[in-house]
Amino acid sequence: MRLTDPALCVGADLPAHLAAGPGGLARALEDRGAIIPAIAAAGLRGLGGAGFPTHRKWQAVAEAPGGPKWIICNGNEDEPGTFKDRFLLTHTPHLVIEGALVAALATGATRIALYVNPREAAAVAALSAAIAAWAGHALLDRVAAAIGAPVELRVVESSGLYIGGEETAAVASVAGGFPFPSLKPPFPAQSGVGGAPTLVNNVETLAQAAHVLGQRQMTGTKLYSLSGDVLRPGLHELPTTTTLRALIFEAGGGMLGGRAFKAVFTGGPSNTLLTANDLDVVLDFDALRARGSRLGTGAMIVVGEGTSILRKTAEYVGFFAANSCGQCPPCKVGTFQVARLLARIEAGHGTPHDLAALGNLAALLPGSGRCGLVDGAATVLASSLASFGDEYRAAIR
Amino acid sequence: MIGWDAARAAPPDDSAPPAPDAKALLAHFHPDHAPDAMTALRIGPSAGAHCPAPLAQLLESHPLVQDVDLAGVPVTEADVLIIGGGGAGCVAALTAARAGARVLLVSKLRMGDGNTVMAEGGIQAAIGPDDSLQRHYADTLKAGHFKASRELVAAMVADGPAAIRWLIEEGMAFDLAPGEERIGGRLLMKRPGGATAARLLSHRDFTGLEMMRVLREAVLLTPGITVLERHPCVELLSEPGGAAAGAVLLDLERQRLVLAAAGATILATGGAGRLHFAGFPTSNHYGATADGLVLAYRLGATLREMDSFQYHPTGIAWPPHLAGTLISEAARAAGARLRNGTGARFIDELAPRDIVAAAILREIAEGRGVARDGCVGVLLDTPALEAAEPGILKTRLVTLSHLAHRAGFDPAAEPFLIRPTLHYQNGGIAIDTTGRTDVPGLFCAGEASGGLHGANRLMGNALLELVAFGRRAGTAAAEARRTPRALGLTHLAGWERALASAGIPRTRRAPILFPDYGNVDVAALLRQAA
Repeated sequence: MRLTDPALCVGADLPAHLAAGPGGLARALEDRGAIIPAIAAAGLRGLGGAGFPTHRKWQAVAEAPGGPKWIICNGNEDEPGTFKDRFLLTHTPHLVIEGALVAALATGATRIALYVNPREAAAVAALSAAIAAWAGHALLDRVAAAIGAPVELRVVESSGLYIGGEETAAVASVAGGFPFPSLKPPFPAQSGVGGAPTLVNNVETLAQAAHVLGQRQMTGTKLYSLSGDVLRPGLHELPTTTTLRALIFEAGGGMLGGRAFKAVFTGGPSNTLLTANDLDVVLDFDALRARGSRLGTGAMIVVGEGTSILRKTAEYVGFFAANSCGQCPPCKVGTFQVARLLARIEAGHGTPHDLAALGNLAALLPGSGRCGLVDGAATVLASSLASFGDEYRAAIR
Repeated sequence: MIGWDAARAAPPDDSAPPAPDAKALLAHFHPDHAPDAMTALRIGPSAGAHCPAPLAQLLESHPLVQDVDLAGVPVTEADVLIIGGGGAGCVAALTAARAGARVLLVSKLRMGDGNTVMAEGGIQAAIGPDDSLQRHYADTLKAGHFKASRELVAAMVADGPAAIRWLIEEGMAFDLAPGEERIGGRLLMKRPGGATAARLLSHRDFTGLEMMRVLREAVLLTPGITVLERHPCVELLSEPGGAAAGAVLLDLERQRLVLAAAGATILATGGAGRLHFAGFPTSNHYGATADGLVLAYRLGATLREMDSFQYHPTGIAWPPHLAGTLISEAARAAGARLRNGTGARFIDELAPRDIVAAAILREIAEGRGVARDGCVGVLLDTPALEAAEPGILKTRLVTLSHLAHRAGFDPAAEPFLIRPTLHYQNGGIAIDTTGRTDVPGLFCAGEASGGLHGANRLMGNALLELVAFGRRAGTAAAEARRTPRALGLTHLAGWERALASAGIPRTRRAPILFPDYGNVDVAALLRQAA
């Protein structure tokens, strides 16, 4: 069974979900102690992009003193080219909530915040209706009884800002503040909302957790947000053994208009570009890391002949510059300067000095911020310069 | 077909022709109704609607430029971008600039090189004592077979009197009523075909030229308007959400691309006569190649009444180098007869344009046409007119005599060989009463827009439309000005997916910018520019 199986896409209809769903919550209630080992055995990793082993986060929150503990289901989702969480929240909200309740049982958390980007009005509406369906439900009472305290489910609308998807920013946002990321440590598992231990998991991760508990294994699939110069863009749920070539040429229907393939901006788009040499790479965390890139959110923005890498890079760096929270000067100024230089080159006013400055900034900026935003901007810049330097030089006339 | 000499020798028969069954005549002989003339659009916002097959080929085509061509291209910024330097574009530019907007007016040819200058008859406006807005409204709807938008027609006729006042304030001269030739004198009003009152205002028989003279001067003298001539638009720019954000221009002289960024874009690109549907000659200027329709359609603008074109009955058929050139209705209004090869009249010469055109085509199709040096048509009997009213050709039909001179014959001795000519695009891009299209940030005015004429245009309404809606679109665009969030071609991805699903080959590209018999190699220019 897949996460986006039509039988699971029942919206806010709770009885229909419980009839068709993986049954993760019922299994979790049978033996709370077996939850984290089951997650560990299945090998679930954070699907928001980091790929951090999920059971270790859960274990840390479970063991952390203090409370009442929080769970934040992170559905902020604001990166260019990513559109998987909004699908799950809109069509399978109960699967996500089930996953969050499983996590609550595992960690002892009693406050569950379903943290959603308010621009996704359909997702907010579906989640609100779904929460209403759980109110007073026997399963929810059993969860509360097992934990020993009532469980609160609530929808928290995020700021809608990109930065709010970073986990410490999500904690700040749920606590009522501006979504400023903070330095780690302390990790949210140690000190999150109001100082209480807080588990922050991506929407897809929690949906998979519900599945793992019910079926004793993962679905073996990943949600890929495919966009760009392909014939059939959209959300594709495919086996984790899928190669980039299969994603583009089978699921995606091939390159738009039969164009030649140039590159893919992956997962963010804040990672090293995949180029024609990488077409046979398997789209999972480890294989991509071995290539020097990252799977990220599973977003794959495909670029074909006829689309400018320079203009795409300028667009994405411009996005990062506009979304820097401004706390860390290197990020605030650095992303702005990179965006300015790219805009100059793109508008035909660039000089060779601008190219050299871009190269310097790409080397200088990584690691200079509290969160990964500036790293993402620098990575995508460095990668496009390295692989498609000719496009930059051609624009400097 | 009857030879020229045999036709000249045939004795003229002036008996009144039988009244035709208008419906059957149009159905059998009007070019719009010919079998296979129209085809249904397969993709895009007006999928399922019908239009001429050559136009459908252009509407459903791949773009000339792609994203990669925009890298390193200089950007010019404006509040309001106006594409098209004819009457509608100039009126919109003046209006927007006076509302405080920075205006960029771009033109494929030169400012004024359009169909506006070819309007001979005049401009309609209900200003007479026996006239009313209601009558103008009813006449317009009726002439258009009730297919026009009532809101748009109401807006246009209501603007009529103010439009004339505005034109006079800009410096345009109108003919004055006899005995009123003084400052402040009353305007001369004539009754146009299809109207119930005298409301056609004119400047001799070159009203459009006089209008364009005034508009051109005003545009050049108004601060805040930048004019780029010989800069055809090859694609519209879009924001990620699909709103219009300006245009990609091709600088023909420097052979390079230029991006024009604007939060409000007005299309005033005119019609499609140079597509020569079914091989018809056209009265239209060289640039009438439907560029605006093509670009707006792929950005998501709906089209309407694209299956309706006006064929003017009396275009020149011989000599070939003047084929399609218009002979004004004034000749027939003055009493000139139409004759077939047997010398007989075959239609009431003052019937509506679509009826007369269909009747001429019937004569040709049924073998009663006249052939001269391989050119086929019917005769416009100017010698008989001159004989009945000596001197009329020299005094009242000046333009006609001038045309005959260019053709190398004496109209008092020889008749014109005439044949219907593709004249006007009745439909176009759907707009509302402010000139807005379905695409945010995109406006349209003039012949390129649709909804004002239904399935047939009343003479004199084209000039009124361009003033009324040029002003409306200019005002609305100036109000809507904002800075675009991004300049790109994001709308093309979805468009190309639709093309691929319809199996349309990538070799089919548009807009064509110039007719295929022209000497401009657009592909080579673009290679040079990219």
